[in-house]
Amino acid sequence: MNMRDRVLTTLDHREPDMVPLTEFAIDPPHMEALTGLKLEGQTSLQTPVSADRKDEMANIDMTYRCYKRLGFELIPVELSAPDGWQAAKNPDGTMTDEWGRILRYTSVTRTWSPFRSIFHTPEDFDKFPLPDPDAPGRLFGIEQMKKLVKDDFAFGAFIRDPFAHVWEMFTPDNFVRWLYEKPQLIRKAIEKLADFNVKITRRLREVQVDLVISGGDYSEKNGPMVSPRFFREVIFPNLRRQAEEVHRLGVKFIKHSDGNLNPLLPDLAQIVDGLHSLDPTAGMDIGAIKSQYGEKLILFGNVSVDNLCRKSRDEIVQETKECLRLAAPGGGYILSSSNSWFADAKLENCLAMVETARKYGRYPISLP
Amino acid sequence: MSQKQMALEAVTQAFGEVLGADEVKKRVEAALENSASPTEIIQSLREGVDIVGRKYQAQEYFLSELIMAGVMAEEVTSLLRPRLAASSTNMFGHIVIGTVRGDIHDIGKKLVSTMLISAGFDMVDIGVDVPAEDFITAARSNDPKIVAMSCLLTNAMDEMGRVVAALENAGVRRSLRVLIGGRPISKEFAQQIGADGYGADAVEAVKAAKGLLSTGNHGGS
Repeated sequence: MNMRDRVLTTLDHREPDMVPLTEFAIDPPHMEALTGLKLEGQTSLQTPVSADRKDEMANIDMTYRCYKRLGFELIPVELSAPDGWQAAKNPDGTMTDEWGRILRYTSVTRTWSPFRSIFHTPEDFDKFPLPDPDAPGRLFGIEQMKKLVKDDFAFGAFIRDPFAHVWEMFTPDNFVRWLYEKPQLIRKAIEKLADFNVKITRRLREVQVDLVISGGDYSEKNGPMVSPRFFREVIFPNLRRQAEEVHRLGVKFIKHSDGNLNPLLPDLAQIVDGLHSLDPTAGMDIGAIKSQYGEKLILFGNVSVDNLCRKSRDEIVQETKECLRLAAPGGGYILSSSNSWFADAKLENCLAMVETARKYGRYPISLP
Repeated sequence: MSQKQMALEAVTQAFGEVLGADEVKKRVEAALENSASPTEIIQSLREGVDIVGRKYQAQEYFLSELIMAGVMAEEVTSLLRPRLAASSTNMFGHIVIGTVRGDIHDIGKKLVSTMLISAGFDMVDIGVDVPAEDFITAARSNDPKIVAMSCLLTNAMDEMGRVVAALENAGVRRSLRVLIGGRPISKEFAQQIGADGYGADAVEAVKAAKGLLSTGNHGGS
């Protein structure tokens, strides 16, 4: 069974020959350590920060080599910035992305992260020219990676969740304030970003991806960021529109979110095909989720990213075995960390997770 | 119940039910018209924010309600500030707060800071990606009761231990308590690095800060 078939069988809720593995992101220091290559240009895990195609090609090549070296069966790729686009460089050393988020460089991870916004009043959004989903070049990275992976690996395209995107674009304080004072604005912004995603998803037909992943969080450790009622009234109808468009491509739609998703699980199980991250430190019990939703949802993750940073190799081996024991039987489980391989995760632990999955992840699973 | 008491209860209710900034400001104006003092209104605000905190922990409310209560508290405090003597809002003293070096996350820190202001602390927010030496400088110049550190990235956790050591080496550790919090932080980690307290979320951080001040012993060796 080749690597792509292993993933496709898993996505079909059947048992392949062994449990597939992936990470939705690996921080640059680990990629460099695993490939011996040097990251070129600027990167962010949340948004394109450059349209320099030479740097982008080099980074796609490094990602491909890194995943190939690790034997990961599924490679996820982000959308690109359009041809010719340049991030606005601000005098204080920050930059502004296409969506009005102001990004600051983090030296430890060597990536750019959103921390402020250009949206100070509701009117700022009305005047803001939203990015064009049909702009040439948006699929550049996805097309380049497709050429590398051919049909050997499974291949997923990332889109950003409209709620999480608007939450970051406006900043949490403004999002919440306008949710109370201008609820129609929040509703409109989420709908417009969902429209963007629907159009981008149509373009993905050109590339033939194996799944589409919606990045961006719905929850924090305590529970959903906004009330389940708001999810049902505004967020989920837009999520459903995206899911329907992805299904028209004939592929599965996977929702990523950190945090405690338990109050949202009954709804999510009716809309998306799978969930990624399943953070155990936020109360996501993969055994309970498998038992209740395992026939409906493909599960990804649950090896604690915090433990990869701080626990011993032996503890990671035990944790990985437990994830396999609880989630792998019957198929529908792709093993990964509960977020990504942070720069500060011990590489020894990350590799122990991979080795353990290969050793004990062969079907039929026979862990006591 | 007097008109004044009813007006003060209406302020508490506006917070408890998270009715928004405009509504709470109307109710504060009404309380002032009914001869409530700014200090009494601040007390009603605190009771209301406490209700929001309890409902958040019981998962009846969500992060958005907690943030909105913070926004409302900021609005009310700004409205009343010209009428308040400094001593009437600052019941418990100064806290220096920052996100440690290597981490630029601001949301959790800002929320904790707002909740602590609502609870009666005077906050000195020294920003994000803050090196240890800036915590020392802020501790020397503000004479805080507590230095509070936040991080979201696991990468940045060890920096908290370095700040505790730096405060010790600079000779300022014994005069203050150290409170830490953030997504990857646990009580065990707090003990491991020699912090005095830990808050699992913004509501717990307020409880921990009050708890630290009610116990007599200061940290440090």
